[in-house]
Order: sequence, then structure tokens, then C-alpha cells
Amino acid sequence: MARYGMVLDYKNCINCKACEVACKEENGVLLGADAHRIWVGVDEIKGEYPLLDIVSSTFMPSQCQHCDNAPCEEVCPTHATYYDDNGVVRVDIDKCILCSYCMNACPYDARYVDSRTMTVDKCNFCSDTRLSNGEVTTACQATCPTKVRIFGDLDDPDSEISEILRTREHFTLKPHLGTKPKLFYVM
Amino acid sequence: MQMEVSRRKFLQGSVALSVAGGSAITATNLFGSGDKAHGKLSITTKTGVGGDSQYVATLCEMCVNKCAAMARVEDGVITKLDPNPLFPKSKNMLCPRGNAGIQAVYDPDRLKSPMIRIGEKGKGQFKKVSWDEAYKYIEEKMTKILEEEKDNRSSFLFCAGEGMAEHTFKTFYQAFGSSNWLNHSSICLQTVASGYGVTIGAYPQADLENAKYVIMAGANRAEAIVTPDTMNLFKNTKGRGTKLICVDPRFTNTAAKADKWLAIKPGTDLAFVLALTYVVLSEELENKEYVKANFNGFEEYKEHVIGNKYTPQWAEKITGIKAETIIEIAREFMVNAPQSIYYPGRRSTFAKNDFQLRRAMAIFQGLGGGIDCKGGLVFGSKVKIKNHAALEPIYARAQSRAITKKADAKVGEAGYDDCAIVTGGGSWLDWRERFLTNKMPYKVRGMFCYKHNPMQNMPNTKKTAEMLKRLELVVVIDTMPSDTVMYADVVLPECTYLERTDPIKTFGGVEPSVAVRNKVIEPMYETKPVIEILRGLTNKISKPLFEISKKYDEDIQDEIKDSDEESVYKEFDITKPFAHDQEYLNKHAVEDYPGAYNELVKNGVFYPHKSTDFKQLSVNEHQYYKEKNKSYSVNGGRAKTHSNKVECNLINLSKKGVDPMPVWKDEYNYKVPKDKFRLLTGRHAQFTQSGTANNSMLRDLMMENYIWINKRVAIERGIKFGDTVEVSSKTGSTRIKAYPTEKIAPNQVFFIHGFGEESSELTWAYKNGGNDNAVIEDIIEPTYGAAAMHETNVEIRKV
Amino acid sequence: MNLKNIIPIKEGFTLKSLFEYEKTPLNNFVAVTTISLVLLFFMGVITYLMHGHHAYNVTREHPWGLLIGMYVFFVVSSTGLCIISSFGHVFNIKEFKIIGKRAIAGAIIAILSGFAVIAFEIGHPVTMMIYNVLSPGLTSAIWWMGTLYGLYLTLIIFEFILLQKNDHKWGWYFSLGGLVIGVIAHSNLGSVFGFLIARPISNGVFYPVYFILSAMITGSYLIFLLYGFRYKMNFPPEVTAMLTKLAKVLGLLLAILIFFEAWKFLTAIYGGKPEKADVALHILGGANFWIGEFLLGMLIPFIIVIYSKGKAIHTLVWASITGMVGIFFMRYDLVHDTQLFPMQTLKIREYQLAPTWIEYFPSFAEIAISIGAIGIAIAMYYVASKAFELDHR
Ligand SMILES: Nc1nc2c(c(=O)[nH]1)N[C@H]1C(S)=C(S)[C@@H](COP(=O)(O)OP(=O)(O)OC[C@H]3O[C@@H](n4cnc5c(=O)[nH]c(N)nc54)[C@H](O)[C@@H]3O)O[C@H]1N2
Ligand SMILES: Nc1nc2c(c(=O)[nH]1)N[C@H]1C(S)=C(S)[C@@H](COP(=O)(O)OP(=O)(O)OC[C@H]3O[C@@H](n4cnc5c(=O)[nH]c(N)nc54)[C@H](O)[C@@H]3O)O[C@H]1N2
Ligand code: SF4
Ligand code: SF4
Ligand code: SF4
Ligand code: SF4
Ligand code: SF4
Ligand SMILES: [Mo]
Repeated sequence: MARYGMVLDYKNCINCKACEVACKEENGVLLGADAHRIWVGVDEIKGEYPLLDIVSSTFMPSQCQHCDNAPCEEVCPTHATYYDDNGVVRVDIDKCILCSYCMNACPYDARYVDSRTMTVDKCNFCSDTRLSNGEVTTACQATCPTKVRIFGDLDDPDSEISEILRTREHFTLKPHLGTKPKLFYVM
Repeated sequence: MQMEVSRRKFLQGSVALSVAGGSAITATNLFGSGDKAHGKLSITTKTGVGGDSQYVATLCEMCVNKCAAMARVEDGVITKLDPNPLFPKSKNMLCPRGNAGIQAVYDPDRLKSPMIRIGEKGKGQFKKVSWDEAYKYIEEKMTKILEEEKDNRSSFLFCAGEGMAEHTFKTFYQAFGSSNWLNHSSICLQTVASGYGVTIGAYPQADLENAKYVIMAGANRAEAIVTPDTMNLFKNTKGRGTKLICVDPRFTNTAAKADKWLAIKPGTDLAFVLALTYVVLSEELENKEYVKANFNGFEEYKEHVIGNKYTPQWAEKITGIKAETIIEIAREFMVNAPQSIYYPGRRSTFAKNDFQLRRAMAIFQGLGGGIDCKGGLVFGSKVKIKNHAALEPIYARAQSRAITKKADAKVGEAGYDDCAIVTGGGSWLDWRERFLTNKMPYKVRGMFCYKHNPMQNMPNTKKTAEMLKRLELVVVIDTMPSDTVMYADVVLPECTYLERTDPIKTFGGVEPSVAVRNKVIEPMYETKPVIEILRGLTNKISKPLFEISKKYDEDIQDEIKDSDEESVYKEFDITKPFAHDQEYLNKHAVEDYPGAYNELVKNGVFYPHKSTDFKQLSVNEHQYYKEKNKSYSVNGGRAKTHSNKVECNLINLSKKGVDPMPVWKDEYNYKVPKDKFRLLTGRHAQFTQSGTANNSMLRDLMMENYIWINKRVAIERGIKFGDTVEVSSKTGSTRIKAYPTEKIAPNQVFFIHGFGEESSELTWAYKNGGNDNAVIEDIIEPTYGAAAMHETNVEIRKV
Repeated sequence: MNLKNIIPIKEGFTLKSLFEYEKTPLNNFVAVTTISLVLLFFMGVITYLMHGHHAYNVTREHPWGLLIGMYVFFVVSSTGLCIISSFGHVFNIKEFKIIGKRAIAGAIIAILSGFAVIAFEIGHPVTMMIYNVLSPGLTSAIWWMGTLYGLYLTLIIFEFILLQKNDHKWGWYFSLGGLVIGVIAHSNLGSVFGFLIARPISNGVFYPVYFILSAMITGSYLIFLLYGFRYKMNFPPEVTAMLTKLAKVLGLLLAILIFFEAWKFLTAIYGGKPEKADVALHILGGANFWIGEFLLGMLIPFIIVIYSKGKAIHTLVWASITGMVGIFFMRYDLVHDTQLFPMQTLKIREYQLAPTWIEYFPSFAEIAISIGAIGIAIAMYYVASKAFELDHR
């Protein structure tokens, strides 16, 4: 029983997308532009050559935020979307009716349709592929070259993630929506 | 729990699918498979949900870095590659290409069996043959050629790309007795390796983990991944310990991580470095003690730089970088020295002056004293392993390397026709040019090519095609139907890196170690590792080759006279180096370290300090060596030249017609005619040169390369995002989609190297995107004959 | 037990009688159109069965498409008819008593058509039936929607049977029940959108209220159309009286709607709140809103009502056609506009343009099922009018 979250030391990110490939290989995510559990966003640079605005091209890694107050879970008619024992927001493919309501309700574009099962899929912190085997890292964290990602138990005060959140400034995405994301961007 | 069970069923289904998909391929046609018809393939599997998976320690070979990986195997299928945290060089990471290595194994386009050409060269028409037939074919053609060339072994060219087993192939070259060897160096790092080599005694590594100030010019570590540099650097940038100055004509991902980005004009870095040097010398900012003790020719160099007025103001006009900025950077660099690094770079030779540029960079680095020390450039140390004995037979009739000395060489002048110095790796462009213009001292009629793709890797593709067409016997060992394979007479399919054990390798550095690539799965189809290919081939050709030598080689004839034929043959038998399995050779390589071999087989990595020093520090970080055991300084902070000094003034060079000190010449100025563009080329984090363009997983991240063109220029020319443009030069043309962006100057364009393949057997890579080398002119750098890749101006036309 | 015991079916109704109708050009035209639409519907369904959801142009960014719009269109129509009919038999407004049976039949047909559409939108309808019961998501507006509309359908079917049986006492209870549940279900449907905190343009109280209002307008248009067709424009006096009154109600409703919309946009734009204001301005920049929704759906009918003081009921029958087209646009836009603004505004591929407005255009299968469903509705209505006495006696 834990409450898993992830810290993103996003200034380390070099936009290599190793995390994206690792996730696809680990979780059998199909190829295709729509099918991705994880991504890195970047703004087209501002300014005119050579006076470019360096900070305008920050890389923003992202994935499902595992909201503590998840709109996707709230709107799901069949409880296909649920919080598991570790606070991970997951989808039970047997119950998903593909009403797509959760996709509309998620403020972070974290969900997509897996075209094999025709059910909704998303990041699940590798719960079934890694955590259930006793591993303590996610595929995206393990592979990241510049170690952007720190996954861990938010309820454990001794965990590295808790320590970082106590000591480093951080923010979450769209906090005004009250979704209480468990993906934290440290500055 | 219910859920896990249903996932498990699902997994079995999809794993089974990919295996079936794999083996079905052999049955159909030579290259193809049923899957190709759909034009779409996705071979990801949901993995790790069962408990019955095995892990094999291996090393990645998707690029030069050789990161350590743990391969997960389920039901005989590789389902995941995870980073192996034990390796100090790769520090617990796999990049996107490393992760996508699985797709290299299960790519339906893979070479599957030996083939012999039946159609016209370049058209890719082959017939499938057995290994024996392939060897036989090679034997027949080869003996014919050698017979006609009277046993001149140098009538065969050997070339190889970089790789763990490159040396195995090189052993074959040596045993064969040719003197014509070409590798990637003249199209990659020759000038930087030599520039630093002659100046500070070695091509150093950079201790980016401890550097406080880094100038990264002409290197793009955020996209051109080099380990451990990429990982070390970007954890510290952006106000967290290391100040990064990125000098690049383009705004790269490295620029995005920098504190300052200087948009330098291509090919003018030398002026920039000379001006930095000028500031330091005129303001006397150098580490005087260090310079005094460790420099040769400092005073001459100082006089040279000051005397020639290489001022920041002078450099501003040439480089486009503001004089104040140059002054500021020179000062900051010296304030932080010796923990400041002018990063040497890797792929070099952008312009003809590159060798001198790298010399100037090395000297500038030395001015701060940041050589062989923590936070500076380091030489590092190595864990010694045993090489297996190589065969070095001498054939009396083998001609020396096909290079021609300067016809009008003055006494004592050692220059060659096309470049001043020829090194071990040779000069690809020179060699090809001499071959095509019939300037060879003797006939070269055959070629063995290993893990190398000359059709894609060097400027002026047309000339390479012509060269390959004229060679009578081209044998290519590859894993994929590359563009070069299309020109082969005989194709020998190697298995991929995950299907073979390769020679154990020692990795030097601040934290040295030994690592091995263990076979993860058995080779698929009829492929084999190169050592087995060579075993088979040498078994076939060794005797016949001996027969020819016996006929022509006086030494051999003498020896036979002295003893008996059998014992002479025994000595000349070229099958010997390949007689043993790789595992056997590996065991031998580390036999000095008890337990090391088992450790390597089990965990992939070994170094003597591991048992005492290695520990996990946090979820992501590991300690490999205790601080006191790290090899920051191995030569007392001195250069590694013979004199142990930084060589500013190399008089010897002038004997070869090379400037003894870096000089700026007017011809180096950056000029682009109106309405033309300077073409730049380079890397992308998700692709490796020409080798990954067909990888469906990587292609999923980026379908093809696009040409960067300045936004304002694009608007003027009516070019919109995604429009197809034709890029052309004297050399040729290619078509590519447009990406208008402000990240590039108005008179420059850029696109990623390695796309636009011409091999129709590459389902996804075929004619996908633009091929830079079809357009880049074969301009030869004068010192080492390297390819100056960014000297080509191109035209652009919307089509 | 015979079906006739449960519900009185017209004397002489046989399957064969379905093919007997007065062969006027208008009737022929309607017949051919209906059959074509029904065929179209099945073509769409077949395409869907062959390719699954791939037959639709819905994407990760735009998961709801035309089918959801069409579903809303039908259920709004149903609720609208139910509410308007309740004027008569729930609230005892004399003139409206005559429309009860026809309107309720229409309401049943409309909602069944809506269900026919949504059945092909929901990926796994059978799973839905099972897990709606086994693991109900009580915080889900869609769960409530399914449940309430199910209840609503049951109630209005009973209501219809009782009306057919002329059981006015029980009929009244069921009418009231149907109305109450219908209104709740329907404003709940508004909340399906209103609850979307991720979508500021839809989030809030507007849609639940607007849905009731626009349902009444839809109901009115449909009554005009049903009666216009039933009487071929030769209205008996009691119908004239009803329609004239309805026209006035319609005028009032339209006025309120225009007033609502104006404030919706003003509050959305004022202050320039990110996403909300952007989307509002974007909507106001498009023809869908001005021509589709405003001109066809509101302005034309409104002007006719005002200009004729509600007397131009013939013209209003025609205007109801534009009105229903307008209503269709309102439903489609409602769904589309909700999803206009990308939730991911950064580029996630090297070579792509920055995401801007999310684009969507329905696929053949989506168009076929949606438009075809109108044919299904007309066909059901035809059968109902043959089988049951829909006029008030
Ligand atoms: N225009 C332009 N040209 C360039 C560059 C550039 O940036 N721009 N970069 C230059 C640089 S730095 C370099 S190092 C060179 C590299 O040039 P090459 O050494 O030719 O390397 P690749 O282009 O990666 O091609 C490698 C070939 O090896 C094959 N291969 C991959 N794995 C295996 C294996 O396990 N066994 C065997 N037998 N074959 C294998 C691949 O299918 C491919 O055909 O290119 C140079 N050329
Ligand atoms: N992902 C990935 N990583 C790789 C490889 C790969 O293929 N893919 N290949 C590996 C190999 S073999 C090599 S050699 C290295 C290459 O590593 P690098 O040399 O770092 O990479 P490149 O992209 O080839 O070129 C570096 C940069 O030089 C810039 N440049 C061009 N002209 C000039 C100039 O005149 N002045 C300056 N200051 N800059 C200039 C280019 O815009 C480019 O961004 O990468 C290695 N790592
Ligand atoms: S792997 Fe790490 S550095 Fe690479 S894109 Fe993902 S988060 Fe960024
Ligand atoms: S990010 Fe989206 S999918 Fe993930 S928990 Fe939050 S609302 Fe749900
Ligand atoms: S699509 Fe599936 S997971 Fe999403 S809300 Fe509907 S039933 Fe729940
Ligand atoms: S935690 Fe696992 S499932 Fe989630 S994005 Fe990372 S790799 Fe994918
Ligand atoms: S950098 Fe990437 S491709 Fe190169 S060896 Fe390492 S993991 Fe493999
Ligand atoms: Mo290279």
C-alpha cells in the first residue's frame, strides 16, 4: 500500500524520447501518433534568428498525472477507471465500455484508445508490467539518460521523492482545476 | 489480481504473434515478408507480466557508445531492453535507439540468408544461396583476381564501420595481407583525434561531471549522444553548477540547455578560438605556472596570435559573434579554469581548416591548465585485458597501401598527393577519387565491407555507386539490405548484436571498466556472427590462397624449400584466428582477473574496484568508484605527448606542408552566394546515421527528416511547413519536406543525416526523406584527407 | 396474452398495410427518402462492424464526434416533445390536450433513435449493460444519463399505453413521472458537458439549463412539423388554435434563448480568461454558429413569430425545418466546441506544427449512421402512425 507519484526534474530533459520508447516496448503500446502514454512537449522557439529566446524552448516531459482527485475516475460510468491500492489511476479493460468520457474529462490529454482491445489506455506507472513483479522503478524512469524522473511513494516520508518535495520548489500542471496531480515538476 | 491474469493471456497472444511474424518471413521471398504488404507493422508486446522471464546482460550496438543493457527474454523472444546500472560509462541509461534495439532483431526487412547478385549492380536482384555456395563464389572470384594480380593481396580493399567486432574483421584483413584499410575515421573524427593527438598527446575525454564551465562548439550532446558526456552534462546545466556556452550555427537541443547560444558562421570556429586565445594572452589570463611547466612553443604562439591581431573585433566580423561576448567568454573560461572545458567534439571536419581548429582548441584548453585533471580534459585509465594473438603474415607480393606520394615532393617532404598525412583509417574520399580516376599504383578489384555503408556515409553518393560498380567482387557483411548491400556481389548476413557474443572490450576513462556483449537469443534465420562467417570463409579460401602464394610468393617458395609445405602452410593458415568461439576468446581475455569472466557473463560488467566501490546512491544514481580511486589525473596533469608538453608550434608539420601553428586564412571566410544556402548536416537523438532509418519504433517518433529553412526566407519563397523541396548542388539532388524555423540562419539549411535510402528492400526507409550525401560535395580536408562536410552550398526549389 | 391486450393497435393493422399508402408525390418522396436514409444507416453500421471504431474520425484529441451530437439531437427532441405534450395532459392547458399521443409517440421514437445511434458510438454496449449494474459509477453523469433515460423511456412507454387505453388517471401519474424524470435526465445530459472541468467553455451551469430550454424549442419545432405533415397544412380549427398558441410560446422561448446565448458569450469573453475566451471568440468567428445555429435555429423562426404575432403557422411549419437544421447545428457544435481547445498545446514531435484548434470532420460511417438514423425515426413514426391512433378524439 503506497501512494505513488513521480517527480520530474524537467530541466534535465533533453527531449530524447527514450522514455517514450521504453514505455512502448514495456507496455506493448502500439505504434501510431495517437497511441502514447508518455510524451515530451516543446514550444516552437520564439524570437528571430539569431536573437532567440532560449527559455521559450523548455522541454516538458509528461504523462498521466495520476490525479488524487481524478476527473477521469469521477466521470467513468462503470468504474473501469479506478484508483488502485497504490493510488495509481488505472483502467480495467474488462469494464471499459469505450464511452470516451474520461478522454474528454482529462485535462492533460493522458488517455487514448488501444485499438486492439478498443478500450481506453494510459500510463499506469507500469503497475502490471513492473511493480507487480516487485520492481521499484518504471520503465521510463529507469531508461532516462539525464535522470529526469524520480518515482516513489509519497506516503513514505523517507522516500527520495518525499525528500525532494520537501526541499525543492515544484509545481504541478493546471493546479487551478483541483485535480491534485501526482506528477511534480521541480525547479 | 484478476486484471493481471487477463493481461497475461493477452501477452502470450501478442508474443506468439511476433514470433510467428518473424519466422513466416523466411518462407516467402528473399527479403520480404507478408507484413510488408500492409506497409504497417507494430511489434511491441506487453511484457514482464509473467514471472518466467530471463535476463541476459548485453551491450547496445545501436551506436558507437555501447551502453550496458539487460535484455529480458520471454518464451525465446526479446521483450524488453533495460539499462544495466552496473556500467560506469553508460550510467544506468538506454537512449531511444537503445530501447528500440528489439526492432533491429525483429525487423522483417532483415537480411536472412547469404545471397549472390543476379541482376544489375544497384538493382538489388539476388538469389538466395547456402553459406557454402556463397563462400565458394567468393573463393572462385577471389582466386581468379589474385591469380591475375600475381598474389598482390592489396588488390582487395577492406573497410569497416565501428563496432565491437570490428577488430575480428580487421584480423581477417590483416591475415589476408592487404594493406588497404578504410574505416569511419576520415568521415568522422580524424581531424579532432589527430588535432588533439599531436597537440596534447591523445584524444582526451571531458570530465563534464565536474566541469564548471563548458564551451561546446560544433558538438551537440543533447542529440548526438555520447556517454557518459550526455548524462553528465545536462544534470548540471541550467543554473545547477555548470555554465554551458553552446556554439553552433543552429539552435540545437544543446543550445536549449545552454546559458548562452552563439550562432557562429559555419567554418569560422578557428577565428573564434584564436580570438579567445588573443584575449587570454593579451590580458595575461593564462595559468602562468602551468604554461611555464607544460607548454612547448608558448612564446612563438603568443607572438603569432598577438602579432596577427586575432582580436575579438577581428573575429566578430568573421564569426558573427560579438567582440564583447568573446572577451567575456575568454575571461569566464579562465576564471573557472582548470575546471573549464573547451569540449573537443566528435564528428569534426566541418570545414577545411578543421585540423588547425582542433589544435587551437587544445592549446586554448591548456592555457587554463585544464588537462589531465578533475573537471578538465582527462585521459583516464584502462583495465588491462589480454588481446588474443593476431596473425600478421607478410606476403612478399602484396603492394603497400594504395596512396601516392607527391610527384613533385621536395627532398624530405613527406606529403602525399591529396593530403598531407595518411593515418591508419585512411582517407575514404581520397581513396575513392584515386580509384575512379585510375590513379591507383596497382589494380584494386575487390572489396570486403563490414558493418559500413559507404553508399550513405560519405559525400557524393554517385561516385560511391560508380566505385562499387567498377569493383569486380564486392562482399558486404551487414544485417540489413542497406544501400551498399544493393551493390554487393555477395551478401553475407550477420546476426544482430542481440544474437551474438562479441569480443570483451575494455572501456577507459575516469571510471574504467570491462564489459561484454552476451548473446541474448540464438541467431534467427541463417544469420551468424562475423567470427563464424569468417571461420567459414577462411576455411574455404585459406588453402586456395596458399596455392596462389605458393606460385608467386618468393618468400614462401624459399620457406618451403627450407622446410616442408605442410609446416609452412600451418604458419600461413588464416583460419587460425577464427577457430575458437568468441566465448573461449573472451575467457582468455580476462583470465588475469579471477571470477571476472563469470561476472561478465552474469552481469555484463567488471572492474577490479567494483566489489568495494560500487553502490546505489539513490533510485537513479550509483557510485562506481570512490572519489580517491577515480582516474582524473594519470599523467601528473601533463600532456601525453612525447615531451609531455602542450605542443604549440609543430615544426615537423611544416615539412609536410602543414602550418605549424593555427593560422587563419582569408579563404576560410564564410561566403554563400546570393540565393544559395550552406548545407549543414548532423545527428538526431532518435536515429543513428544511416543504420536506423528502417526501425519502425524510431520512425514512430519521427517519420522522416525535414529540411530546416529560415522562417522568413521560407515565407519569401512561398515554402510552407511540409512542402516538398528539391535540394541540389553540383553533386546531385534530393527531395525533402520543409520545416520553416527560426532556429537556423537565413542563408543556411540543415537536415538530419541518414535518411532518403535508395534500397527498395527497406520498406520504411526507402526514399523516405532526404539523403544529404547525394548533395554534399566531396571536398577534401588537406591534412588528413577527411571529408569536409559543411562546405557545400545548395539551391532550393519548391516542387 | 396478446399484444392487443396490452396496447390497442388499430383495426386492420397488418404488415401488409404498411406498404399501402396514398401515392401522392409528397408521400412518394418521403417514402423514397426514408428508405434511402434507412439504407444509409445500415451501410454506416456495416462499415462500423467491419472496421470498428476505426471507421470513425474521432481521435485522441477529439474523442466525441458526430454520433454524440446526433444522440443529443434525438434525446433533446424526445424530451422536447415530452415537455410540450405535458402542457396538455399534465398541466391541463386546454389547447395542448390534442397533442398528447402523437407527441409521446414521437418522444419514444426519438429516444429510441438516439439509442440506436449511441449503441454504435459506445464501444462495448453489452459491457455497459453489465457493469452499469455491477459497478455503477455514481459520480458519472453518463451513468446517470443512461439510468435516467432508461427510466424515462419506461415511463413514457407506459404513458403512451395508458393514453392509448384512455386511462387518464394512471396516464396522468405516468405523464408527470415521465416529465419529471425527463427533465432531470435531460438537464443531467447537460451536466455531462457542464461537469467537464477540463473544458472551460462547457464547464458550469449553462448547459444543464440550456438543455431544457432548447429541448422545449426543439419540441415546438417538431410539433409544427408533425402536424404540418399530418394535416398537409389543412389544419382543423383546434389544431390551428394549438399551433398559434405554441408559436407564441416558441417566440418567448427563442427570445430567452437568444438572451441566454448573448450572456454566455459576453461572460465567456469578458476578461479574456484563457481557453474560455479563446474558444468563445473562435466560435463567434465561424459560420456554424452564425448561420447554422443563430440564423436557421433562432432568428428565422423568431422573426416569423414576432412579425406574424404567432399567426403565420404555415410559414412556421417551413421555418421549423430550418429550426431543426439549426438545432442539429447546436447539438453538433456543442460537442465539437467542447473539444476545440487542445489539452496538449505543445509540439510532441520534432516535425509538426504547434497544435492549434482541434479539427474534426465526421467520416462516412459517422455521417451515414447519424443522418440515416433520421430515416429510422421517420420509419418508426410511420409504423406508429399506422399501428396506433395518434390523433386525439
Ligand atoms: N552527410 C553526412 N555523412 C556522414 C555523417 C554526417 O553527419 N553527415 N556522419 C559521419 C560519421 S560521424 C560516421 S561515424 C559515419 C558512419 O558511417 P557508417 O560506418 O557507414 O555507419 P552507418 O551509417 O551507421 O551504417 C552502418 C551499417 O552497418 C550495418 N549494421 C548495423 N549493425 C550491424 C551489425 O551488427 N553487423 C553488421 N555486419 N552490420 C551492421 C547497418 O545496417 C548499416 O548498413 O558516417 C559519416 N557520414
Ligand atoms: N543519437 C545519436 N547519437 C550519436 C550518433 C548518432 O548517429 N545518433 N552518432 C555518434 C557518432 S558516430 C558521432 S561521430 C557523434 C557526432 O557527434 P557531434 O559531432 O556532436 O554531432 P553532429 O550532429 O554530427 O554535429 C555537431 C553540430 O555541429 C554543428 N555545426 C555544423 N557546422 C558547424 C560549424 O562550423 N561550427 C560549429 N561550431 N558548429 C557547427 C551542427 O549544427 C551540429 O549541431 O555522435 C555520436 N552519437
Ligand atoms: S528519457 Fe528523460 S531526457 Fe529523454 S525525453 Fe524522456 S524525460 Fe527527457
Ligand atoms: S491525468 Fe487525466 S487520466 Fe490521469 S488521473 Fe488525471 S485526469 Fe485521469
Ligand atoms: S471510456 Fe472506459 S474508462 Fe473511460 S469513462 Fe468510459 S468506461 Fe470509463
Ligand atoms: S510509468 Fe510506465 S506506463 Fe507510465 S509512462 Fe512511464 S513507462 Fe509508461
Ligand atoms: S547511446 Fe543509445 S544507441 Fe548508443 S549505445 Fe547507448 S543506448 Fe545504444
Ligand atoms: Mo562518427
